[in-house]
Amino acid sequence: MKQNYDFDIEKIKNLSQEEKISRKKNLDLFYKSGFPSKQVEDWKFTDLNLILNKNFDNISNEVNFESSKDFKAIENFEHNFIFLTNGKIISTNFDHEEKSKILIKDFNQEEVKNINPSNALALLNSALSSGGFSLEITKDYKLKKPLIVYNCFSQDLKNKILNNKNSIKLNEGSELTLIDYSDNNTQNNFIKNTVDTISLNKNAVLKNILIQNSKSNGHFYKYIKSSLESGSSYENYILSSGLKLNKIEIEINLNKDNSSCSIYSALNLLGDQHQEIKTRINHNSPNCKSYQKIKNVLNDKSKGIYQGKIFVEKVAQKTDAYQLSKALIVSDNAEFDAKPELEIYADDVKCSHGSTSGSIDSDAVHYLMTRGISKQEAVKLLINGFLNEVLEKITNNELKIFLEKILERQINGH
Amino acid sequence: MKNQDLNINKEYKYGFTTDIESIRAPKGLNEDTIKFISNIKKEPKWMLDWRLTAYNRLQSLKEPNWQKPKYPKINYQDLYYYSAPKSASEKPKSLEEIDPKILETYKKLGIPLVEQQRLNGIAVDAVFDSVSVATTFKDELTKKGIIFCSISEAIQKHPDLVKKYLGSVIPLSDHYFATLNSAVFTDGSFVYIPPNTRCPMELSTYFRINASETGQFERTLIIADKGSYVSYLEGCTAPMRDENQLHAANVELIALDDAEIKYSTVQNWYPGDKNGVGGIYNFVTKRGACRGKNSKISWTQVETGSAITWKYPSCILQGDNSVGEFYSIAITNNYQKADTGTKMIHLGKNTKSKIISKGISAGNADNTYRGLVDINKKATNSRNYTQCDSLLMGNKCGAHTVPYIKNKNSTSTIEHEATTTKINEEQLYYCNQRGLDQEEAVSLIVNGFCKEVLQQLPMEFAVEAQKLVAISLEGSVG
Repeated sequence: MKQNYDFDIEKIKNLSQEEKISRKKNLDLFYKSGFPSKQVEDWKFTDLNLILNKNFDNISNEVNFESSKDFKAIENFEHNFIFLTNGKIISTNFDHEEKSKILIKDFNQEEVKNINPSNALALLNSALSSGGFSLEITKDYKLKKPLIVYNCFSQDLKNKILNNKNSIKLNEGSELTLIDYSDNNTQNNFIKNTVDTISLNKNAVLKNILIQNSKSNGHFYKYIKSSLESGSSYENYILSSGLKLNKIEIEINLNKDNSSCSIYSALNLLGDQHQEIKTRINHNSPNCKSYQKIKNVLNDKSKGIYQGKIFVEKVAQKTDAYQLSKALIVSDNAEFDAKPELEIYADDVKCSHGSTSGSIDSDAVHYLMTRGISKQEAVKLLINGFLNEVLEKITNNELKIFLEKILERQINGH
Repeated sequence: MKNQDLNINKEYKYGFTTDIESIRAPKGLNEDTIKFISNIKKEPKWMLDWRLTAYNRLQSLKEPNWQKPKYPKINYQDLYYYSAPKSASEKPKSLEEIDPKILETYKKLGIPLVEQQRLNGIAVDAVFDSVSVATTFKDELTKKGIIFCSISEAIQKHPDLVKKYLGSVIPLSDHYFATLNSAVFTDGSFVYIPPNTRCPMELSTYFRINASETGQFERTLIIADKGSYVSYLEGCTAPMRDENQLHAANVELIALDDAEIKYSTVQNWYPGDKNGVGGIYNFVTKRGACRGKNSKISWTQVETGSAITWKYPSCILQGDNSVGEFYSIAITNNYQKADTGTKMIHLGKNTKSKIISKGISAGNADNTYRGLVDINKKATNSRNYTQCDSLLMGNKCGAHTVPYIKNKNSTSTIEHEATTTKINEEQLYYCNQRGLDQEEAVSLIVNGFCKEVLQQLPMEFAVEAQKLVAISLEGSVG
């Protein structure tokens, strides 16, 4: 089966002739393979080609759209924001900060060329990308309040694909909490293909939180590539329940000693939602730490997937790497697949992974019911307890309360 | 174990060749070779047709290349597909008629063909290069109705059973190497245990590749009828040669209602020398089907030899309440490579599976566990437990774990855990302090690490396997 594509580089404005040629090359490379099917090992559990064929007649890369300047900011939670529509910056606000310490501009599309030539979607992104931001925090500046990136979408996106590129750079000793907040209640089928590049300099600290605020027919793919210098720390929290299809691919390169990273995910999937988290942690240097905890609750006909790889280079002695994926399968039509992988070439390491999947403990449900709680409530309570554990490590109380509320809404189906 | 023992065993002790005349099929893979094999074995027409179908399918198949260990392209036209000791062409009627040189070889290998058989009580079917040389203890087994013979003999004497079950677990054209085997398989063992019979002794096969430029393609078929039990052992060696030799066997197990099959392997093919020259390519397809209710198949393997080991003994749990088990030790040293594991496919209700895998990597070796646990929608109340541990010795080797886990219903539970570590310095220090030298200490610790698997082996093999574990790691420490 072949998709009807209508991809046109000419639609993208302000391109130099040279860039057009380079984009054309990437597009041709993409055409060779098309959207990946399950024959591609990285897409074994998510047959993207099949899913798109089912849901789209025709896909095109329209870039002109109507955007409103208004959006509903989150209340009772002090924050800075970047407001994006279809990936383009509409407005920014850093009232809580020293503005000179923060550099924010439109992403210069020429800045990053091909990020991964073997990844068909990254190729497509390089060919068609338009829109995106680049953010840089100057040395030793620690943001006082979290930064929320509002991702909003126009109403005319049916059968469209959005390709965005963002870059985030934290200079030595700087700190940032970045919340990627997707808000989209359109019932239109559309695809969003994003490539984020993250670079953390010495001792920089980044917390990156991904939130999906409402149920949506969006088909999202996000590729995050990050590189860490010595002593830096990168934390990820993924709370992206609600999307019809979502695949988040995170590649973390621990390039210098004593850097550390963690990935926490709590998903409650309903209906026919399909979410995949794929990680690759490259331990390229000694004394680095990585930690992953992936939790899924699968209801109805949903499907959850975790593919995680820990790669330890020969030089990366004293590596401490851990990977855990847990799934609760609530419905007989739901499915959980996992491929937790270790590839290790250094001997003085501590690497382990665990993966479990199973049903809700019926004894626990029974116990709660004897205390007068209805079965439905009891199940919800247990799911809440199961997923909430992921937020335990967050020390900022305000942030924790905010995320707990989001999670609770997701457990109740938004 | 005494230090002296270890030193004697330092080299691969099964590396000798036996100088006997052998009959070979002409080099190359074509219809004529297949007809030659079929003809020399006096096979019925249906068998030849089966082989030719496999050969035709092979033409449209591609060699798989997704595995971790890569190898130079094999020239399938440059191999001999049939090699048999000349004296075996007229089938011996008793042990006395077997070429004494072959018997001597087996004596060197420590296989109890004549005398020791009575003491050990193990019935042995020995496969030399391509043909089954001798099957011992036949009378006693026949009394119970147990059939234990070479597969060539079974094709002639028990065609109904062979026709019914051959290829029923590993389909004719399952993948490249299995299909190749279906086309050119030369011999192997056949076991049938009648209903409600407990096989009174361990059945055993010993494989040996002797001739050069030969591939060995054996085929084993074991059927445990309702309520029966059998334990089967398999051992392998080959002479030392500079070239790589191909071994592509197919093993099919079928367990009917309430039956149990225990299959143990100690694989010690020639692993190549210290620089990775020579050695066997061990590309084997092993699969068992728990067809009946309450049936059980248990695989135990100790993989110490071969330049490349590439195999996944699997269980298809079709019957309700059936059980699949996989216990594995894979040791790789020098330039050896292993990519091994299992597949547990849960189809029936209340099925259970257990996977214990211990990988040990030393020198420049690479060791991969790759496995699949797939619990289907209808396999309610099923359970799997997987544990794969890897031990790294030195910083030039690699240890990898690639499990695929699929759970498709809400009443089943899957648990998987894996760890990768090196030998604990404190444990080593403690052993040294008690007067054990470095090598003894390592062998002791490694044996402890493998204990859960070694325990699964039948007594006679367990001792041998323990020694093998120590020998395989010679020179990897310090």
